[in-house]
Amino acid sequence: MEHVPILKIGSTLLVSIQIDLQDQSVQQLQEDLAEQIVASGATGVIIDITAVEIVDSFIGRMLSTIGSMSRLFDAETVLVGMRPAVAITLVELGLSLDGIRTALNTEKGLRLLGGRF
Amino acid sequence: MFSLKDAVYNLVAGSAELIPEYVAFARTIDDLGLHTFETYTAAREQVISDQAESMLELSTPVVRLWDGIIAVPLVGTLDSARAQLVMEKMLDALVSTEAEHAVIDITGVPTVDTEVAQHLLKTVVAARLMGAECIITGIRPQIAHTIVSLGIEFGDVPTKQTLADGLAHALSRSGLKVVSA
Repeated sequence: MEHVPILKIGSTLLVSIQIDLQDQSVQQLQEDLAEQIVASGATGVIIDITAVEIVDSFIGRMLSTIGSMSRLFDAETVLVGMRPAVAITLVELGLSLDGIRTALNTEKGLRLLGGRF
Repeated sequence: MFSLKDAVYNLVAGSAELIPEYVAFARTIDDLGLHTFETYTAAREQVISDQAESMLELSTPVVRLWDGIIAVPLVGTLDSARAQLVMEKMLDALVSTEAEHAVIDITGVPTVDTEVAQHLLKTVVAARLMGAECIITGIRPQIAHTIVSLGIEFGDVPTKQTLADGLAHALSRSGLKVVSA
């Protein structure tokens, strides 16, 4: 199973997903991220899914779980770089990821978190 | 072409031994007629499908209004196929122009039923997932009436009267202001 690296920029954690997501790796990412947020005291999390081409309902739900989980640590989650095909799939699956913020690319995501990094 | 059959029949009508030849001749003529008809239909079908395709292409333009603001003026009836195409084109444009605001103008849409509303909402949610905000403009009075009568909820999707209002809203959301020179 491949690990997803978590990078720290100031008080923002950047998670760039470059692999084909498996259920296990998403679950592992969720655990790693929770630990990292606590360890680093981050106030923002950016999840970059530019390279993700395929999502299913499980991964969609996990993304929204990551969002709610980060909120418990008072960290805001921004999902960036979603591809049109992925967005259409999530909508067709009925997942609108309410409560999670989105941006077109990492740069805009960082700007959205504003002075928090 | 088929009148040839009558002419030949009049010639062979008198002699009984020519009947088998006449039947074979009539069959050839029928085959020819059928072939002509099939070719004609195929050519027509091709023209119709070509036109439908180009109409679909023409009817879904995505225009860039401002830096970071795109507009999708919809004209004509929205069916599932068209709504799907509109959604795909708009999302692709969001990526290529890096726009954060999209104005969907439905002034030219004659009717809005639950299906069309559903498609519009899907497009808005998909755009939101990609990090862009959608504004729906140009809802005509009759359509507004229908929407309310059908009990369709646009939820928290911002709606404006005209494309101009939509643009003004998008501009103010991007922190821009129009002033006279």
